[in-house]
Amino acid sequence: MTTPFPYLLLPHLWSSRNRAQRRERGDLTRAVVFGAIALGVCGAIFGGSYWLTRELIEYAEFGDYLLRLGLSWLFLSFLAFLAFSSVVTSLSTFFLADDLRVLMAAPVSPRRLFHARFARTMGQASWMVVVFLTPVLIGIGAARCASPLYYVTAVLTLVPFSTIPVAFGTAATLVLVNVLPARRARDIMMLAGLAFAAAIVLVLRFIRPEQLLRVESLPDVTDFFATLQSPVTPLLPSFWAGESLFAGLQGGLDWMHAGALWTTALAATLVVAAASERWHFAGYSRSQEAPKSRFKQFRLLDRLVHLAPMSTVRRQLLLKDLKIFLRDISQILQLLPLLALVLLYLYNFRVLDLDRIPYMTEFVTNVYAFVNLGMAGFVMATVAVRFVFPAVSAEGGAFWLIRTSPISMRDFLWSKFWTGLCPVLLLTEMLTIAANELLGIDPFLKVVTAGAIVFMSFALVGLATGLGARYPRFGADPNQAAGSYGGVAFMILAVLFVIVTIVLIGWPTSIYLVRRFRGQPIRTFDEVRIIVFFGAAMILSVVTWLVSMRSGVRALQKMSD
Amino acid sequence: MIVVDTVVKRYGSFTAVDGVSLDVRPGEIHGFLGPNGAGKTTTLRMIAGLLKPTSGRIEVNGHDLVKDAEAAKASLGFIPDRPFIYEKLTAGEFLRFHGGLYGIDGDGIQSRVQEMLDLFELRRWENELVESFSHGMKQRLVMSAAFLHRPPAVAVDEPMVGLDPRGARLIKDVFRRMAGHGVGILMSTHTLEVAQELCHRISIINRGQIIAQGTVDDVRKMAGGEDEHLTPVFLKLTGGSGLQEIDEVV
Repeated sequence: MTTPFPYLLLPHLWSSRNRAQRRERGDLTRAVVFGAIALGVCGAIFGGSYWLTRELIEYAEFGDYLLRLGLSWLFLSFLAFLAFSSVVTSLSTFFLADDLRVLMAAPVSPRRLFHARFARTMGQASWMVVVFLTPVLIGIGAARCASPLYYVTAVLTLVPFSTIPVAFGTAATLVLVNVLPARRARDIMMLAGLAFAAAIVLVLRFIRPEQLLRVESLPDVTDFFATLQSPVTPLLPSFWAGESLFAGLQGGLDWMHAGALWTTALAATLVVAAASERWHFAGYSRSQEAPKSRFKQFRLLDRLVHLAPMSTVRRQLLLKDLKIFLRDISQILQLLPLLALVLLYLYNFRVLDLDRIPYMTEFVTNVYAFVNLGMAGFVMATVAVRFVFPAVSAEGGAFWLIRTSPISMRDFLWSKFWTGLCPVLLLTEMLTIAANELLGIDPFLKVVTAGAIVFMSFALVGLATGLGARYPRFGADPNQAAGSYGGVAFMILAVLFVIVTIVLIGWPTSIYLVRRFRGQPIRTFDEVRIIVFFGAAMILSVVTWLVSMRSGVRALQKMSD
Repeated sequence: MIVVDTVVKRYGSFTAVDGVSLDVRPGEIHGFLGPNGAGKTTTLRMIAGLLKPTSGRIEVNGHDLVKDAEAAKASLGFIPDRPFIYEKLTAGEFLRFHGGLYGIDGDGIQSRVQEMLDLFELRRWENELVESFSHGMKQRLVMSAAFLHRPPAVAVDEPMVGLDPRGARLIKDVFRRMAGHGVGILMSTHTLEVAQELCHRISIINRGQIIAQGTVDDVRKMAGGEDEHLTPVFLKLTGGSGLQEIDEVV
């Protein structure tokens, strides 16, 4: 009963160990694929950070200034991410996790429980930041030939830097769970998600990076740096972390900022520990109240779907999927990053003032339509991996209902496909048309890209539906399916597909455009080439769509083996 | 109604079900008994079409489950041991969705949904989300769904788990009435009193094989006992009472 708090973390460690020891078919492939992706990403981050730091050395003191500014901004971004992430994570670890029923019923002191849960929250909320920052900081150190002291400083900076936002996030969750009325837990997530999405858009709107493009007006660049610097207040831990690291880079120690980091981390932990001892049980008790909630009946949706010309089975599957989606706030929360992405996407095209850039010509503007198509493709892949890929997994434990009912797996999966296709096609088509209008591209290209989006939507939604059926995760949270092996495999294949499609459409189109801008006649050979390449892009889309769906149906049929 | 003919299910070298044969006649409640891990749930999952048998044949209402899977499934109501259902649907929506899967839509579905909700005493919960239901209420909702499409045969896995005495009595009455209307019910259970009270015939499975089959009296005779209760007979057939071991441990 008096064992130290790490004992309470053992079930998670044992579970991880057991998962690692379990051998399944395809483990080696998965390890190779994930390992290669992880190495590639880390290598790219390291390379980028190394190259940028080397470039900045050329600018002497101005380079140092930019590096310090960059570090502060990097840490400020992670501070925001960690604060948001820890609110969501601590909500789960301190109040919603299933194993709390066992722990709260056991003779475990509140302090031990707090320490164990806080350690778990730290791990879950900050691992991604640590994994990303490691190659960045190593890259900076390598480029500046830093002494070992820099690397020691980096480790000693990251620990308190991660602790502070996690402590504040945990405290915020503790307060909110005790203050807000019923259904508060989900509301908090909603609130935090909205705040995070809004913050991303506002910060980018605030710094207006497009000003860098206005090379003809240097005073604006000065303003730009002033804008960059303004929110980096010396009172934030991100500033302390940046300054400590910069001192380490120069072979020194910044005791003041390092001290500020450590004392704040320690104080924040002690305060939140005391608060948790006092209010955790009250909050936990309230979070156990029967989740009898306000919810919408969606009678209008019922009527609308019943008007649609489709079979009874498809109608009921569609209604069920829509209602479950609309009533599940965790699913709707997934829309928020997407909303931020869409806003940024359109905002970028709105502020991309091509007329002000002297080297931009009409031709380049039109080539930009393909950049737009590529971006629409990536938005499509992101939406598909978030919402279409987990469609089969979302059936969860209730999938027995489908499997024991007299509908074929083919009907079931195709119903999932059509449900996913409509919003994806509508969203990306609208985005592409809006962005092309903002760019003012050639009418021929407008038609080509709008048509390409239709084919790409069928292919990518088919690929996501098929792979989602091949690699379902019925037992796990469907929201996490995007990060699974199947989700990553989908993203790789989707990116490859988008690139190949753009090449197939872009190359003959660029030749056509060059001839038009030079005033040369369009030869029959050019027209044939356009038809062949466009045809190849269409065939690729149709094959990707149908083969993926067939493979998904087969995988579902084999489930009963 | 349900015919299981020398069905085998192997997982690698492990044989979970080894040549099981049984039949459930119209209007019959057939008890399927056996210790934990004997192969009851595996057999029921094969009958429901959730698992494919390694060999053997299963028919529901004359439809082969492999050759004519959809017709066989349309003739069966399945009630699993754990009532996993869509938490974000209301009870009414869930039943209408379930009806839709079996092709029941339009005007007929609403009155049938009301009938089922009344029968299983869930009417006042019709417009509440399933996530706010207790285990017993979810179990009753799954049963409503199983009987919704008027199946001629029903397979039930542990129907009494999590039900209060009132709920248990309700289920027994429903099963009796359904059997009275010609529905064949195959019911796996650990509650031997329930089997004794409800079942016209029973099959006892142990280590994947049927070791006894017939009426309760037939099985009692097979065990060579004169006990009034089924429990000693069951323990004799499936291997010891374990009471001596309990005494030693205590």
